[in-house]
Amino acid sequence: MSAEEAQDKWGIAHVHASFNNTLITITDQTGAETLAKSSGGTVVKQNRDEASPYAAMQMAEVVAEEALAAGLEGVHVRVRGPGGNGNKSPGPGAQATIRALARAGLEIGRIEDVTPMPHDGTRAPKNSRL
Amino acid sequence: MQHVKVPQDRLGVLIGEGGETMREIERRAEVRLDIDSESGSVAIDATGDPVTAMVAPDIVRAIGRGFKPDAALSLLDDEMRMFELIDIEDATRNKNDLQRQKGRLIGENGRTRELMEELTGAEVVIYGTTLGIIGQPEEVQAVRRAAEMILDGAPHGAVYGFLERKHNELTHGVEL
Repeated sequence: MSAEEAQDKWGIAHVHASFNNTLITITDQTGAETLAKSSGGTVVKQNRDEASPYAAMQMAEVVAEEALAAGLEGVHVRVRGPGGNGNKSPGPGAQATIRALARAGLEIGRIEDVTPMPHDGTRAPKNSRL
Repeated sequence: MQHVKVPQDRLGVLIGEGGETMREIERRAEVRLDIDSESGSVAIDATGDPVTAMVAPDIVRAIGRGFKPDAALSLLDDEMRMFELIDIEDATRNKNDLQRQKGRLIGENGRTRELMEELTGAEVVIYGTTLGIIGQPEEVQAVRRAAEMILDGAPHGAVYGFLERKHNELTHGVEL
């Protein structure tokens, strides 16, 4: 590791923003090695606040600190919404997370949307009222 | 690179007089907009900071869903401001029902929609089959809940009461 202590080490920030929670995992570029992670429950008490942008910001700050300590200079971001049958757009935590990561001193590279899209997969759940 | 579909009758607004609005979006969000006026599809390319470019698709979508360019560009003013869309068609059974629910959301002479805006501070636009909201997260949340109540068949009085309560909560937060 120390041999190629590259001056610009990049990682990937995986942001899973659903409507009930936000999960942030920062890995190295292969995605196999987790450097830092956090989820809504670590910063808020009430379950319904787990997906809030405020919680996401606090989580991102903590995670960014850990990532910087691990020697990362910047991250590429992979945002993911609920996807599949559900809602295709990322939840409220996604934007807030990326901004907070940028503000905490991590450089932001590419932002990619990796929400799973069905190629017409399974039947949609029966229509509940919103 | 992202694509957003904009209805034909909103393309003019998106481009603006002599391309004014389009250039304003490009300048402030640091993106390049490629508007195909034939199909109404807009390609968005980041030119500068990817973090500021992140909101550009929302701005274009908001204009496409009936917001004024000023309101849509206010998404850039503040980090937390967000844009949300509620699809009324999803919550209705058929065309008649859609028409009825739209009427209920708008209210007599637009009273319900106006109250949603005034009491929460968010901007609310009902266009086609969608209801769009731009505002702070709590404001958007409040409007969303109110709209869901109306779509669920709650009487308008109950919704006004709910908004009134939310209004008190929101303004108390500011005073503290």
